Amino acid sequence: MGGKGAAVLAQQLVNGLMLGSAYALIGIAFALILGILDMLNVAIGEVFMLGAFLALAAIRFGLPWPVAVLTAMVGGAAVNLIIERLAFRPLRNAPPITPLLSTIAFSLVLQNVATNIWTSEQTQFPVDTGKLSFDLGPVRLTSTHLLIFGTALVVMVVLDFIIHRTKIGRGMRAVAESPEAAGILGVEPGRIITATFSLAGAIAGVAGVLLGLAFSFVSPMMGVQTGLKGLAAMVVGGLGNVRGAIVGGLVLGVTEVLSVAYLRSEYRDMVVYGLLFVVLVIRPQGLLGSVIPGRGRV
Amino acid sequence: MRKSLVLGVAAIALVSVLATACGRSKQSAASSDGAGANAGDKQEIRFGALVPSTGPNAEWGKKNTIALKILEENVNKAGGINGRPVKIIVYDTNQKPDQAANLVRKLAQDDKVLAIAGPLTSGECEVAFPVANQMEISIMSQASSKPGVSKANRPWAFRNTMTEDKLATVTMPIWVKHFNPKKVAVIYDAKDATSSTLGKSVLPSAAKHAGLQVVNENDPITFQSGDTDVSPQVTKLKNLQVDGLLLGADFGPASNILREMNRQGVKIPVIGGTPLISSTILQAHGEIPIVAPATFYPQNPAEGTQKFVKEFLARATDIPEATREPNMYDATIVDNIGIFIEAFKQSGASGQPGDLKSDRVKIRDYVAKLKDYKGIAGSISMDPDGDGIKQAYLLLAQQGKWVEIKR
Repeated sequence: MGGKGAAVLAQQLVNGLMLGSAYALIGIAFALILGILDMLNVAIGEVFMLGAFLALAAIRFGLPWPVAVLTAMVGGAAVNLIIERLAFRPLRNAPPITPLLSTIAFSLVLQNVATNIWTSEQTQFPVDTGKLSFDLGPVRLTSTHLLIFGTALVVMVVLDFIIHRTKIGRGMRAVAESPEAAGILGVEPGRIITATFSLAGAIAGVAGVLLGLAFSFVSPMMGVQTGLKGLAAMVVGGLGNVRGAIVGGLVLGVTEVLSVAYLRSEYRDMVVYGLLFVVLVIRPQGLLGSVIPGRGRV
Repeated sequence: MRKSLVLGVAAIALVSVLATACGRSKQSAASSDGAGANAGDKQEIRFGALVPSTGPNAEWGKKNTIALKILEENVNKAGGINGRPVKIIVYDTNQKPDQAANLVRKLAQDDKVLAIAGPLTSGECEVAFPVANQMEISIMSQASSKPGVSKANRPWAFRNTMTEDKLATVTMPIWVKHFNPKKVAVIYDAKDATSSTLGKSVLPSAAKHAGLQVVNENDPITFQSGDTDVSPQVTKLKNLQVDGLLLGADFGPASNILREMNRQGVKIPVIGGTPLISSTILQAHGEIPIVAPATFYPQNPAEGTQKFVKEFLARATDIPEATREPNMYDATIVDNIGIFIEAFKQSGASGQPGDLKSDRVKIRDYVAKLKDYKGIAGSISMDPDGDGIKQAYLLLAQQGKWVEIKR
């Protein structure tokens, strides 16, 4: 039993890390907007879903894979910018709860738009990268696993570079620290908002393509559960903390998979959101995050 | 400030859960052409239909609506019922039980229909059937196949379907003979009514009856409809080392299981219930042989089937090509209204507004004793529980088609 049990556990951990990487990417998209701009865009889950569909459309149009991923990124960024224009900008002086509600409405609109364009049925992703697989002892790694881990890693490194090494990144950090002071020092808040929303949208778009790949299908409802889990990942890791979202996503993914593996699927969401609850009670700032405004958030 | 944000996030999480659970509920009237009672035209004979045109299986409802539209036109082109036009009022339930129940009331009271076809799922039927009983109007589901649902709602509730237990006793031995499994495992969707009945009792007991060993009957593997990631369940399945799988799931969640099985290299024969029959499974099953029972399939050479399929394909140009073929539920809902029309003609119902109550009783009594009605896929009778007795086929997914396995 020992050897076999360990092998199953190892496979389950791989399953969990794959799922967790996807949660982490969506968590990052949430964290960017929240950490830099102090705004919560609940419709990120739908940006993620649209990213997957746009990539699918590109592939059906006969475009090669990398172009499809690029389409998802550009499309995700564009959709997120539209959300900013319509759901945040007109409500800038409203109480913080108002834009939150308007993004919930936006996510319902996007779901129904997608249902009307692509139907409510699952649409199969034409490329199944799962066919390429490697058996490492008892653990089966597919090219999808590697692609997801790899992309998540690349996105994190590039994001870190943008935030810490570029001019626009400096602006983002300045706005995160203090929007007023940043404004006085000549940082244009409008540009920073546009940049942040585009970046978050592009990441959500990539996450959509990756999850579409991982599960070989896309559907208009795929953003609902996954978006909520991504949000939970960010909260567990630390509100608005990009690195925290990565840790939170992986913790959540592994917890979720293990709860199904060793309990029953009925406990899945109870365990995941229970974890969220426990973290909020014991460590309200999240695993890595600081709740002090402007410190260690980005 | 931050604390309130934490609270805000929690509130949003809650709101979005609620929004996804009970939002998106549009009381949209998807009537074939303009819903509602038309007091000016006393001549038309009205029937109602409940289909899910929005929500997780919106395609089912959209295709049902097309099938009903074709029927309505055909009947009226042929002179209607004794020269009076037929009108089928179609409403969207969003696949929500509460909405289905409300719409039964609306159809019975406001639209004054003679009988209702629908709702589609067992979950909806369990809530809508008691309302139909209370309103004293015949109601007939086009898909619900969970055992016992009509029996619990006599005398007004009917289902033009073979329940899963009846189907499984026919189809399981054919599967066993064809694929020769010895040890099987069970996986089911614990959130869905029919799927969990299939997984908890129907499939395991039919399998044991056919001489198979069900290794995880007391510790079944479950998942929840809506789960996109089923990798842990499939890893568990792989670890059980069985040579057959009993799958209690709708086609959507089942497709996720099948893709993950292909990915993890668990390529064993699978048997499930009627909710598997769908073109989605044909795209998803890969190298896994999968079978499911059906009372209709588009490739059936029978004349009625081919005529229906041809008419449907010509009309359903809005539906993407991959899923355009009519399914079992499309054929069944047409038969449901067809049975009601037959009942109206044969039972001597008048169709006058004053006779609504007695007409409904006449239709019910006729349907309850229905014998050998000539439906699209073959003859249909009603058993004393209000469930259909129909011809069943065991279908195998093969090269993008469902093909019949002869016994």
